[in-house]
Amino acid sequence: MVSPILSQLNRPDGSAAYKCPATGYNILGAVNGPVELPARRDALKPEEATVEVFVKPGTTTAGVAERYVEGILRSVLGKVVLGREKGFPRRGVIITLAIAGGENMDRGDSYLTILPSLLHAALLSMISASVPLSMTFSAALFGVTKTGDIVRDPSPTAAKASVSLHVFAISSKGHLLLNESEGRFDFDTWELVHQRALSVCQGTASADGDVTMGEGAASASLHGLIREAVEDQIYSDYAYKLDSI
Amino acid sequence: MASSATTGNPMPPSLSMPPSQFARLQPHAYLRAHLSPPSSDQPSVRANGRATSQFRVTSVNTGSLTHANGSAVVRIGDTTAVCGVRAELLHTSDISSWGVSQAPSKQNPTNTNEAKDSKSEDEDDQGQIQDLNLLVPNLSLSTGCAPGLTPGAPPSALAQSLSHQILSLLHTTNLVRADDLRIWYQPPNFDSEEFHNPGEGMEVDTEQSGGPEREIKAFWVLYIDIMILSMAGNAFDAAWASVLAALRDTKLPNAWWDDDNETILCSDDFAEAHRLTLRGLPIASSFCCFEGDAAAGWRANVIPDAEEQKKKKGSQQKWILADPDGYEEGLTQERACVVVDKENGKTIIVKMEKHGGWNVDSDDLRKLVDVSSQRWDDLKQALEQC
Repeated sequence: MVSPILSQLNRPDGSAAYKCPATGYNILGAVNGPVELPARRDALKPEEATVEVFVKPGTTTAGVAERYVEGILRSVLGKVVLGREKGFPRRGVIITLAIAGGENMDRGDSYLTILPSLLHAALLSMISASVPLSMTFSAALFGVTKTGDIVRDPSPTAAKASVSLHVFAISSKGHLLLNESEGRFDFDTWELVHQRALSVCQGTASADGDVTMGEGAASASLHGLIREAVEDQIYSDYAYKLDSI
Repeated sequence: MASSATTGNPMPPSLSMPPSQFARLQPHAYLRAHLSPPSSDQPSVRANGRATSQFRVTSVNTGSLTHANGSAVVRIGDTTAVCGVRAELLHTSDISSWGVSQAPSKQNPTNTNEAKDSKSEDEDDQGQIQDLNLLVPNLSLSTGCAPGLTPGAPPSALAQSLSHQILSLLHTTNLVRADDLRIWYQPPNFDSEEFHNPGEGMEVDTEQSGGPEREIKAFWVLYIDIMILSMAGNAFDAAWASVLAALRDTKLPNAWWDDDNETILCSDDFAEAHRLTLRGLPIASSFCCFEGDAAAGWRANVIPDAEEQKKKKGSQQKWILADPDGYEEGLTQERACVVVDKENGKTIIVKMEKHGGWNVDSDDLRKLVDVSSQRWDDLKQALEQC
């Protein structure tokens, strides 16, 4: 499995490259924050930082679908960022996500297949930029096939053939942060997929949301994967200290 | 509400505050005071007088625009959406990839009539509508519909994302059948002894095994334009209901390929026009979640685990409000939207989304689906009355 790369870019405050192993989407994220906003866009909520998200598709200019996914990302990330910490009110956190590889999106295509990768890239670049967060999260895509099987991370072609598609983002504390489902399904199916999402994101071992980093077992959960990526980065950043001991 | 500012000591009446001012100065406290019931056995009532799961009065009027093929005005409380559907012709000769993308064997009329089961027809159908962009919805908010939205400005991010939501819902629900939009032509079989006129070429039954294949000459493209005339929250429900009502109202003129003029001709006889046959009746219901504690979102150390949050039921900390108006939308961040359809009395979820917070969990969503299926019955009645 390809591990995400943190702090790859020099200019922005934080960056991350995330490649989804199953769907093949490659997202490059950059975060600047806190920065002064050029216009007084903070007029509505001066007590909090404004979170701005920009999504750039790989081959074309951003269109209406990108506006829509930006809106979703803004509402999810804006809730997770601690926008009232010192230095953040009246300023902005600018998140730019470029789709560097993967299938092209056509007009009117569902954006659900790429949403988990965008969420992961945004989270990792915010961690890399040291933006204070109230919790971390991880997201997963599920498809339900005609026979009723739940497939995790279906490829874009498999996603088109599936009866319903579901994206879940589960926080590190077990909350349901985001759900986007489309297709044709009933609530019992949704509940099954939700349970599956909880186990995929949190790992089945611990119920208290605190993922214990054991050998091998933890990497099965998505929370563990995010944690490992950050730990690896910290390990390499502080390698000089380890060497001096 | 007004008296709460003046309790205790007698104050001159000029210092007391009417509720409307309290609502502007302390909007969060105002809505919270309304929602907190005085005793635990009483239900919460919102500031606008509705119960938490009550929708606003919805009225639908179709056929309002004379120059459109189909139109509808939907009013949900003070939110008004006008939708017009205009049909234009797209000649297959103008589609550059037509000969490449459409394998002739796929268009075999014997296949489309008998052999294909409904599932494969569905897929074929959706492919054409999406690949050829046969549905083009556009939503306009720059009509001066709300104080915050400047008239005449370029489409805001909200308008663009609503347009996309409508387009992707049209695609995922397969609402419009591609077969309604196709204009077929049966070339005459010159080899057969019985010679056809070109005008009779539409009939499929006369086709003989050796004859030329039936072909698609053009498509109808439906331009679906929605204008929000008045915006008082919950624009998506109103916009989607107006799209649905307008599509139900849409009549396409009878059109055929005229081989002599090499063009498409349309009949001006209204009786020959045909309606679209839509698949199902998906109806959207939007909700927002109001948090009792305004600061809950940013205090880092006090966000409880999901399990603890469930156990703590002592004081109600959240209210899920159906069909939020503009005032309530301004005070909430967490949104949920459920689109349901019913088939033989069974509720099918077509789309469900929830983002912007962590208060709505799966138990709440189950209740929202029930509320939405009740809403389906109400709105179906409103749509069928007009």
